[in-house]
Order: sequence, then structure tokens, then C-alpha cells
Amino acid sequence: MATVEAIKLHKRYHDFVALDDVTLRAESGQLVTLLGPSGCGKSTTLRCLAGFLDPEGGDITLDGESILKLPSNRRGFGVVFQNYALFPHMTVAENIGYGLRLQKCPKPDMARRVGEAVDLVRLNGLEDRLPRQISGGQQQRVALARALVMKPRLLLLDEPLANLDARLRDEVRWLIRDLQQQSGITAFYVTHDQSEAMAMSDMVAVMKAGRVAQFATPREIYQKPVERYVADFTGEANFLACQSVAEQGSGQYRIEAGGTVLTVAGVQGLNGRAELLVRPETLRLAAPDEAADFNGRIVKCAFVGASQLCEIALPDGGTLKLTAAPNTPVHVGDAAAVVMDRAQAWLMPEVAP
Amino acid sequence: MTAKTRLRLLLSVPAIVLIFVFMILPITNMIEMSFRTPGTSEPFGPDYTGMHYTRILGDGYYWGVLARSLLTAGLVTVLCLIVSFPIAWHLSRARGLKAVLLYACIVSPLMTGVLVRNFGWMIVTALNGPLNETLMALGIIERPLRLLFTQGLVVLALVHVFVPFMVLPINNALRNIPESLTEASASMGASRMQVFRDIILPLSFPGIQPGMILVYVLAVAAYVTPALLGGQMVSVMPTLIVGELTGTFQWPFGSALAITLSVSTVIVVVTFTMLTSKLMERAKA
Repeated sequence: MATVEAIKLHKRYHDFVALDDVTLRAESGQLVTLLGPSGCGKSTTLRCLAGFLDPEGGDITLDGESILKLPSNRRGFGVVFQNYALFPHMTVAENIGYGLRLQKCPKPDMARRVGEAVDLVRLNGLEDRLPRQISGGQQQRVALARALVMKPRLLLLDEPLANLDARLRDEVRWLIRDLQQQSGITAFYVTHDQSEAMAMSDMVAVMKAGRVAQFATPREIYQKPVERYVADFTGEANFLACQSVAEQGSGQYRIEAGGTVLTVAGVQGLNGRAELLVRPETLRLAAPDEAADFNGRIVKCAFVGASQLCEIALPDGGTLKLTAAPNTPVHVGDAAAVVMDRAQAWLMPEVAP
Repeated sequence: MTAKTRLRLLLSVPAIVLIFVFMILPITNMIEMSFRTPGTSEPFGPDYTGMHYTRILGDGYYWGVLARSLLTAGLVTVLCLIVSFPIAWHLSRARGLKAVLLYACIVSPLMTGVLVRNFGWMIVTALNGPLNETLMALGIIERPLRLLFTQGLVVLALVHVFVPFMVLPINNALRNIPESLTEASASMGASRMQVFRDIILPLSFPGIQPGMILVYVLAVAAYVTPALLGGQMVSVMPTLIVGELTGTFQWPFGSALAITLSVSTVIVVVTFTMLTSKLMERAKA
């Protein structure tokens, strides 16, 4: 139960800048996700937090006190690795109890706590197996139990689901979130999967080339991204290039995009060139006598069961992807009128200043 | 017989021939020889007897030499392990050019012939050799040290040449330990020593065990080094055996000594393997 802050972290490998002014904060009990493509610095940040790497600049604090000088074995953090890093020569129970054994925890106490951890991740009956004798999902749960049994001040998870198949991934994802919330442990979670990040986190930090592009709640990241990169990385998106004119007082912008003049909300301080973010789910085909926001022509169309995916070309060259109800008659080449939920449209710069 | 089994048999012919001609045949011959009666004008007599074994087992002298052989080899093995582990560790962490240079340094003792290497030791450690002269010139010793023809020098020279046989398998095992394991144990509170004791050492056992067996077997059988550097003072089984075979031409007795040494070595190795099988079983990834 601790507040953890990374302040202006810098790290470089030779010429490669791995971390550039990374500042993050996890309030007590929060799960903060570091989201980004490989090489964006998310794992490097986590390794700095764990104490496996020393940043060249900046500070890491726990409840306000710097822990930068503490070696990893004195930080008291639980780490779950992408490859699980289970000790192959120790049984499941020995793996889970290893940290307690180091703490010279009395035998009966240790047996009880290991037993509780085994219950927690539902590994009963597998205590005496070696890691190589259990499945990947079970190994992942051992790794989780091993980190949690220490009652760590901070839990660090490095792409813990990356090596699991889709079904298990879903199961373990909820398990991790449940356990983290039950125990109220502050956690950092590294992933490149946006749906994982959205579903699990209190806060998401979208990382881009060693920097934090945006650090906000999942809702804000998704609905009010600061730049195109963030919007792109967090889900399906349409972008319409446009010129923006700020409206006095309202904090809104007047734009012309896709042949329509609109008033929309957006990032503060925009002027001139901008991008309009329109998520596909905020668009729908207009009813016959409904006023349309956009008029275009259907250029692609695919039936995917629960819905149809359509792509619509606009007169100014932009395109819109949207989902239509499964039985709506849509044909490539038809004219299409599109209605947008204007409250959810969002204006932002292509690249944040 | 299918084509596949025929091919398999065909492919195993070279190995079978090799093992038969260079192993089964000589060993059988050696065992047979060890039961021959001693000859008077020839190296061996016409009849069979078990007298050589009763002589060896009944004589404390031979027990002593056998024990010295086995213990010396054991000492060499343990010292080799201690010297080699840190080297193997560095080698396993080295990459690129550094790794190549380290490999070259490590196998360098094997690049000199056995005689040249041992004559080198003789020259360096002689009473008026460069080592003693340097130490005296530096004022560290007053009189030259008697190093040549001592058990210690034999052990040192054997450790020197057998280090590569220990380093390479351990290096291999260490390379197979993912760094995340040491990080995981550190994150659970393990100090560097504890990481070594609980993770590195047990997981490097798949390299330690073959390394120790290899060095032990080589050390037990070493002849040239004890013969040249141990002189008359330090007799071990191989020098004794060679003496019987080429000095006094007692082929049956020499063979019996050789078989005794082989059997003893096998017993030691099998016992060691059995005692450590549990460690090995656990460490197999």
C-alpha cells in the first residue's frame, strides 16, 4: 500500500535513448499500465522500478522517499516476468516459499502462507510438481503467487500474459486484477495489448520512443488522446485532417472535415492543422430521412457475423470505417449517409507539441 | 528388415568397429593378460593365475599408491572446480571479441604438447630456475624452494592443464541460466551470495558434474606429469604400471595394476554420479 513515483527518468544504451524524461505516479492501490510497442521503453521503466537497471537521471520514490540507492533485493517488490522466471529446480511450493525462506520465516508460518497463496491462485494439488511438469497458465499462476506471497509494497508485471493463449490470457487477466484489488497492492503492468491495458488499469501511460505520450485514465486515453499516436494505439480509429478555428469562450473548435462544418471539443490550444478523431463505434449509417453528418460512398464492406464492417470514402479524400448492423443492406459503390455522435468526436494534433 | 533399419545398422557400423577394435579388444586382452602367470624369458607365462590380484590386494604398498592416485585426482578435481567456476562465469557473460579472446586463453594450456608443457614446469620450478631466482632477487625467500619433484607441483600442473575441461561444460550450463532467474531471486530478497547458492550453483550442476568426471578420469590416468614433475618421490598408479610394463617387463602384473586402477576409477565415478543424481535430476531444465 504505497504511492510510487518515477520522476524524470533518463536512461540510454550507447546511442539509443531508452528513457527520456519519464514521469509516472501510482497512487496507493492503483494499477498503472505502461502501454506501447516494443522498444518504447516500457520494460526499461519497469526494470528501473525493480532495481535491475539504474537510470542515469531522475528519481524513484516510494511514499515520498527515494529508493534509487536500494538494491533490488532490499526494495521488497514483487516481480512477475514475461517468461515467468520460475526456478526450474524447485517445486511449485518451493518456488512460492523461496522469498519467505530467505526471510527466515518459521516453518509452520511459511507452510501456512504458501498454502494460502496456492489457494489464491488455485494450484492445489500441484505443490510438489516442478515447473516443467505444469502448463504455461499454471506456471504463470505460480509466478503470481510467488510475487504476492511476500506481500510486496509494489507489484511489477512485465507482459505477464504474453506467452499464454487467448482463452487463458482472459482468465489470468481477471485473476491478476482481482488479486491486485483484493490485496490493495500498488502495481505497474507492462503490456503492448491495448485491450488488456484498458480493462485492467486505473491509469494508463502510453509510451512512445522512451517518452510518456500520455498518462491518464483509460477512458481519457481512449476518448481524449493528446495526439494521433495515442489514439491509434488504443483502438480502431478514423482520422480526418482539417483546419481548426477556436471558438471564443466555449473551449471548442469550429472545423471543416469530410465536407461538413462541425463544432467539436478537442485538445487545448490548437490552432490551424489538426486531426479529427472519430471512433468507428460513434458512427452509424443514417436512417432514410435523417440529417447526415457525412455523405460519401461505400468502398469496402465485410460481413463479420455480429456486424458488418464498412469503409466509406468522403468527397475530400478522407475515409471512415464504421460498423453497420448485420442485416442492413450495404453494397460497395452505394452512396452512404453517416451520422456521428458529435459529443464523442475529438480534435487533436497529429503530433503533440 | 526395412530399408530404414538397414540404414541404421549401416550407419552404426563405424562406431561399432571403432569401439570394438580400440576398446573392447584391448580391454579384453588386458584382462586376459592380468590373469597370466609371470614369464621368465618372456613377458608372460603360458598358464593362468589370480596371484597378481592377491598380491596387489594383500600388499599395503599398492593400496597406498592406489589411494594416492585416487586422492590426488580428487584434489586436482576439487581445485579445478574452484579455479574454473569464476572463469566459467566470466566466460558465460562475455560476448563478441571478448568471448573469443577468453576462449583462446582458456584452451591455451592444451595448445602445447604434454612433454613441452611439463619440461616447461621443470625449468620454471628448478632450484636455480627463474621462479626461485626471481623470488630470491625480490628478497621474498632466502634459499631456493624445492618445488620440483613434489606432490604439490604435480597437482598444480594437472590443475593447470585440466581447467579447460572444467570451464567449458560449466560455461555451457551457466549460459543456459536466464538472467531473469537471478533477477527474480533478487527481487524476492536474495543477496548476491544467496542467489549464487540457491540458483546459480544448483542450476550449473549439469556442467559441474561432467566437468568433475572428465577431470577426475583424466587426472587419475595422467602419466607424463607425475613421471616428470613427481620424480621418484611421488609414485602414482600410472607411473607404477608403466614401470612394470616397460621397465621390468612384468606384463601380467602391470595389467593387473591397470585393471585395478580402472575398476577403482569406475567405482568412484559411478558412486559420485549416483550421489549427485538427485541434484542433476532437479537441475535439468
